[in-house]
Amino acid sequence: MSPPLLSVEHLDVVYDGSITALSDVSLTVGEGQVVAVLGSNGAGKTSLLRAISRALGPYGGAVTGGAVRFAGADIAGLDTAAVVRRGLVQVPEGRRVFRDLSVADNLRAGGYTVRDARARAEARDRVLDLFPILAERRAQPGGLLSGGQQQMLAIGRALMASPRLLLLDEPSLGLAPLLVDQIGEIITQINRQGTAVLLIEQNAVMGLRVADAASVLEVGRVTAAGPADELSASDEVRERYLGVSVPEVAADPLVVAAPEISTAEPPKRLRVEGLTVRFGGITALSDVSFTVEPGTVHALIGPNGAGKSTLVNVLGGAYRATEGAVRYGDEELTALPSHRVAGLGVARTFQNISLALEDTVEDNLLVGRHRLMRAGLVSGAFRSPRVRREERAHRETVAGIAELLGIGHLLRTPVHTLAYGDRKRVELGRALAARPSLLLLDEPVAGMTHGESQDMADTIRQVRRDLGLSIVLVEHDMPFVMGLAEQVTVLDFGKKIAEGTPAEVQRDPDVLRAYLGAAAA
Amino acid sequence: MSYFLEQVLNGLSYGLVLSLVAAGFAIVFTSTGVLNFAHGSVVLLGAYLVAVLHPTIGFWPALLVAMAGAALVGVAINTLLVRHLADPNPGTAAILMLGVDIVLLTELTRRIGNQVLTLGAPWGASVVSVGEVSLPTGRVVAAAVTVVAFAVLWYLFSRTDLGVGMRAAAADGPTASLMGIRLTRTAATGWALAGVLAAVAGIFLTSFPAPGVAPTVALSALAAIPAWVLGGFDSVPGAIVGGLLIGLTSALVTGYESDLHGVLGTGFGEVAPYVVMIIVLLVRPSGLLGSKEAVRV
Amino acid sequence: MSELPRRIAGLVLLLVALVLPLVLSDFWLQTGLFVMAMAIGAVGLTLLVGVAGQLSLGHAAFAAIGAYVYAWSTGEATTTVDGAGLPPMAGLVLAVVVSALVGAAFSPVAGRLRGIYLGLATLGLVFVVRHLLVNLDDWTGGFTGRSVEPFAVPGLSFSNRDPDYLAVAGVELEGLHRLWYLFLVLVLVACWLAGNLRTGRTGRAWANIRDSETAAAAMGIGVARAKASVFVVSSAYAGLAGAMLALAYGRIAPDVFSLTTSIDFLVMIVLGGLGSVAGAVVGALFVTALPLVLAQYSSALPFLASPGSGGLDPSTASRIAYGLAIIAVLLFLRGGLAGAAGRLRRRAGRGPSPSPAGPPPPGAAPAEPAPATPGSPHDVGHPAAVTPARSKETTR
Repeated sequence: MSPPLLSVEHLDVVYDGSITALSDVSLTVGEGQVVAVLGSNGAGKTSLLRAISRALGPYGGAVTGGAVRFAGADIAGLDTAAVVRRGLVQVPEGRRVFRDLSVADNLRAGGYTVRDARARAEARDRVLDLFPILAERRAQPGGLLSGGQQQMLAIGRALMASPRLLLLDEPSLGLAPLLVDQIGEIITQINRQGTAVLLIEQNAVMGLRVADAASVLEVGRVTAAGPADELSASDEVRERYLGVSVPEVAADPLVVAAPEISTAEPPKRLRVEGLTVRFGGITALSDVSFTVEPGTVHALIGPNGAGKSTLVNVLGGAYRATEGAVRYGDEELTALPSHRVAGLGVARTFQNISLALEDTVEDNLLVGRHRLMRAGLVSGAFRSPRVRREERAHRETVAGIAELLGIGHLLRTPVHTLAYGDRKRVELGRALAARPSLLLLDEPVAGMTHGESQDMADTIRQVRRDLGLSIVLVEHDMPFVMGLAEQVTVLDFGKKIAEGTPAEVQRDPDVLRAYLGAAAA
Repeated sequence: MSYFLEQVLNGLSYGLVLSLVAAGFAIVFTSTGVLNFAHGSVVLLGAYLVAVLHPTIGFWPALLVAMAGAALVGVAINTLLVRHLADPNPGTAAILMLGVDIVLLTELTRRIGNQVLTLGAPWGASVVSVGEVSLPTGRVVAAAVTVVAFAVLWYLFSRTDLGVGMRAAAADGPTASLMGIRLTRTAATGWALAGVLAAVAGIFLTSFPAPGVAPTVALSALAAIPAWVLGGFDSVPGAIVGGLLIGLTSALVTGYESDLHGVLGTGFGEVAPYVVMIIVLLVRPSGLLGSKEAVRV
Repeated sequence: MSELPRRIAGLVLLLVALVLPLVLSDFWLQTGLFVMAMAIGAVGLTLLVGVAGQLSLGHAAFAAIGAYVYAWSTGEATTTVDGAGLPPMAGLVLAVVVSALVGAAFSPVAGRLRGIYLGLATLGLVFVVRHLLVNLDDWTGGFTGRSVEPFAVPGLSFSNRDPDYLAVAGVELEGLHRLWYLFLVLVLVACWLAGNLRTGRTGRAWANIRDSETAAAAMGIGVARAKASVFVVSSAYAGLAGAMLALAYGRIAPDVFSLTTSIDFLVMIVLGGLGSVAGAVVGALFVTALPLVLAQYSSALPFLASPGSGGLDPSTASRIAYGLAIIAVLLFLRGGLAGAAGRLRRRAGRGPSPSPAGPPPPGAAPAEPAPATPGSPHDVGHPAAVTPARSKETTR
């Protein structure tokens, strides 16, 4: 048995020294094989490919354990260019064609490492044979091609280096079903021509169809692996994706109890009505409507690129609505400039930590009190007694919030020394400090280990109990979401495709189709 | 009429030289995201090297040495300094370049001292006349050389692997590195190119009618920044357009200063480029030919 | 516990500053005046650039406005220049107010431009203002400038012209001495105000527009208003600094407020640590005093040559020293001197210091809820030119 072409052994990947992306991940790709890595967003799939291509550096990531072997040799000491020269080429997520370069120049860039003119010409012929449309459009700038054509260009570009192993990061992303099938066929064809393929896919159906073997990644760990047909047949994949059989998060029905510490105003009903958002020629959201009842936890889920982040940004006032409106109580949120939305009692956390890292936890929490404090330019400069009293009072309140979140002992610590989980709590604390009645949480447990996300779920439940707010939650971690939410809205391609309780949504055929691909339902 | 024509020709030829400097700003910015405040002193360095070496080895060899020297200095700045910033972002990089500029300019000023060094250019102080219009030969040569230089750049960027690699790296660094393009190499090439352009521009900025190699050259090189902004931050063709427009504006305003004096005061020709720059930044930050993405900070 | 030594140190410094004029010669007195004037300007700039993250190369322009407003409003009308002949106190106040207003008028530009684009626009501002100063010669005295009325308050003159005898410990307090104490008061008040602003609600709002405008708006901070307020404050400081320079020199000309001066201010605050008030003062001391100190002792320092000889003369040596210092600080010393001091304090076991010891410099703020600059010590020396999105799964 010849050694596998690619061997990933007990790989650990960490970002910024504290965010765990991958934990003990192992898989192999044999000569001429097609292997699929499945998993929902946030599972760490892209990190895996970056680790293999030695491209973690620019993103602040590093391999902290384990090894990657290609053709038997450990590639730890190499840089990305050297890995490409050995025959291991990646097509990154989101196509990433060079928009201002012509198709021909894009391909030329792909062949950069090929010195031999004849080999390059052969490769180009092969690519144009595979994708005739590229020959037709060779002089056009890459940015003008359609989504499907750009995907072909991206793959073609990678093939210019005649790789032995091709890494594909979510090639079907954002493409219509017909194109998805086409991509699947192309992968099979490429494989028949002798190139092994490691395929990252969220669309499990397409992935399993073209692959010989597959692994499922979940929150940085491999949770299932085996021959593709076995995995296809099992219910495991479906469960993993949609967090179905996760008994430990059996929902205590979330009782809307009277809160102990009341918020400034009681939460109001949030109504999203016919919301459409368009920018740069893309329709990010299309006629989305749903209602969040006061005091409930409402989750927004959907595959990659569905528009969830756009929606949170509209709710937070950072993006404008092109059509439609969002109403919070009687106020029209979408008509206000962004810094006035906070005045309605809306607060949010951000997907990437947006804290002032050099400042202390206390200073960061105090920023959340901005709209509740009165100290202006002149009174602040002279530190009048009133200002001093105000600072003291707010420091006390903020200390209380820190206690509630379990970070009270960290008040005077600079944020950059904290672990990732604690930073997320500070971010949550800052949002709570604004005394909101509606809390928007954008991926609150992204990058956390299982234990950390359970802690966060408990904290959020407690916050809701004690403060009685409404919560709108965007997350990919299905067990986390399903265990916390009372209502779920599912988005795909900018449209709402389902709504209901977690249990209803997990059974909905449209949802299954969106996440796992057609014919999964 | 001939006076007007002269001013126009003056402005255009001066503008072409400016565009060489502006192109240097554009190339460094697109390849490494740095606002190179030290560029002016590299221009001076180029001129200085020629002035100092030409008595011993002749003008043209001295120019080659100057081009190589300026390229080396540029690569050294990038490799040794920019890549090791503790806090890498455009703002700190710009301030770092200010620091480098201070060191370089002060040292060059010290060496030049009170002398006014001459370049030993073969065209000296001669003048080309066509009818009633005359133009310093140096300017004519400058125009020709600039056209050739941009033709070479065009060939480099559009026809060679290196050029495609640089454009890819500028368009999307991480993806380009996934193709095997080494970003360190494209960055170094960019800085080296900028240095070469600076040296060439340096000799034309110090030729007749300028008095010779003096530290003020570095300041006049700063006038290329408005040309760069006007053309578009990430556009080399834009640098040409911007340079021509700024050169023309400056020459015409200075040439007709006596008529405009009442409204604009003296010396407005030197300020006009900056006024144009401020207007461009406020109205259309991406410049005439730049891409919108370049402005997304 | 860490408070007490700091307070004692501060008190000692204050005592020294009070006593110094009694022992210093005129040369050193005037050097001190320059240092104090520039220190106020630097404090204003560190609020603008260091705390609020607005890169500005135009600080000298605002200082010029303050200087010339003072000169014009207190000067007597002569054949060459205009003057309003107001009392000096009024002139000072007017200098500060007018500079602040111009800063306010300029702040919408900062609303439209960020990072290096704002830096470039302020660069243009320096040239435009200089052009105005040279050409509006009825007010400014044009290229050669104009002289400045000495300071006076009713009953006490600050110049040597009308001597009223005043002495302490047997040392006569002449014009320069009195200006010293006046300037000292101004510096102390300015630093106190700036410190209060920085640690209070306003300073926190400013720091947030530097780090992430979107997050700031999400917390109810009006970004346009915050930018306007920081420009008003920093221009006011610059204007005061300009007026003080005018008093210290006794004469002003456009070349005093050139691009080099703007760059000098930046050098001061980078060396001292962006966002640190104390750092700004130390930076001002270093940058302003170094060339003068070197010049004074050039005979004692063998490697220094005389000016114009082509060797390493004092002003050349100092400028090269600053250039190298900036490079060194940006490469190795995160947060400048203040940052280094903060780290030393923490390492000495006094517990984590709550002061912002080196916030991310201007230009770091992305517009979106995007990655904060790497703050952990693990990231020092990270070679990426510009760090792209941080999350592992990035598609949206």
